[in-house]
Amino acid sequence: MHTSPFTISRVAGNQWHAIENDLVVGRGHATRRLDGRTFLSIDTWRDTVFNRLAAAMVADQPQYTVVDETDHDLLTNWVLAGFTTSRREAEFVVPTGPSRATVPSGVVITTADEAPLRELDQAIRDEVEAGAGWQTMPAEVLPWQGGTRPIDPSNYTVAVRDGRYVGLVRVATMTRRPRIGLVAVRAAEQRRGIARALLDHVLDGLHSWGFEAATAEVDETNTAALALFEGLGARRTGCSLELVRRPGQAA
Amino acid sequence: MPRTAGGIEVEGTVVECLRNANFRVELANGHKVLAHISGKIRKNYIKILPEDRVLVELSPYDLTRGRIIFRYRN
Repeated sequence: MHTSPFTISRVAGNQWHAIENDLVVGRGHATRRLDGRTFLSIDTWRDTVFNRLAAAMVADQPQYTVVDETDHDLLTNWVLAGFTTSRREAEFVVPTGPSRATVPSGVVITTADEAPLRELDQAIRDEVEAGAGWQTMPAEVLPWQGGTRPIDPSNYTVAVRDGRYVGLVRVATMTRRPRIGLVAVRAAEQRRGIARALLDHVLDGLHSWGFEAATAEVDETNTAALALFEGLGARRTGCSLELVRRPGQAA
Repeated sequence: MPRTAGGIEVEGTVVECLRNANFRVELANGHKVLAHISGKIRKNYIKILPEDRVLVELSPYDLTRGRIIFRYRN
């Protein structure tokens, strides 16, 4: 039982400490992502400390955090702090293997050059803005707030039709298990098997490099993407919840 | 500067991914603890896999529990 008082102290612009008897018993941290959104984290062993830190970190702009769906205690604490679920992301492990898909007629799957890749990236962003809207998109697609978006073509594989880039997939291979970070196809080229061919191509490449599987996250409302990954034999391993607290939302 | 309560940080290796976002971590001394991921790691979408080397902050209230605060590059 903890009866001694603790105090909350903002030790930096984006950091808060809960201090008791000259000991740090809880930490809060705010990270402003390059897409402009602020994500919070709180680490403490005590619920009362969590609640006080969360209250101290309230801002007059939307704040976000990420919680594993099965972490009920943490989820309860964030809900008590006024956060609600804004997005659910299914997590998949995708097996690699030799290519099985047929590339659509007239389409070539190849490595990317920066200039046409940037054109495609911008075209897809414009289509998102005109369609589903930014609020439904993952961090990888949200508008960039920090000047020119860095793009490393070596992380991308693209689909080309008649000399124009029409689809892309981005894979990060920095860790032991590669991560499929983004799959996107121009609106007019969707439902033709291009995304499947792109993924099949990169999974084949990963397999030849010795990787047995890759990871991917898919918005649970994106039924087409869910079907795409499940069709590739992807196994669901969990679900992350993105929570948001908007200004004026009661805690 | 205030010190961290407990303050015991030990290196270990993830031996098992469990339900409820928990992991079984074997510490350098052979003890196994039940650990969850710190908020900062989760916020940055860092994935923890079996065989990952990690830094665990042990709970000052229960030394069989901990929090993964860093994942080393294997």
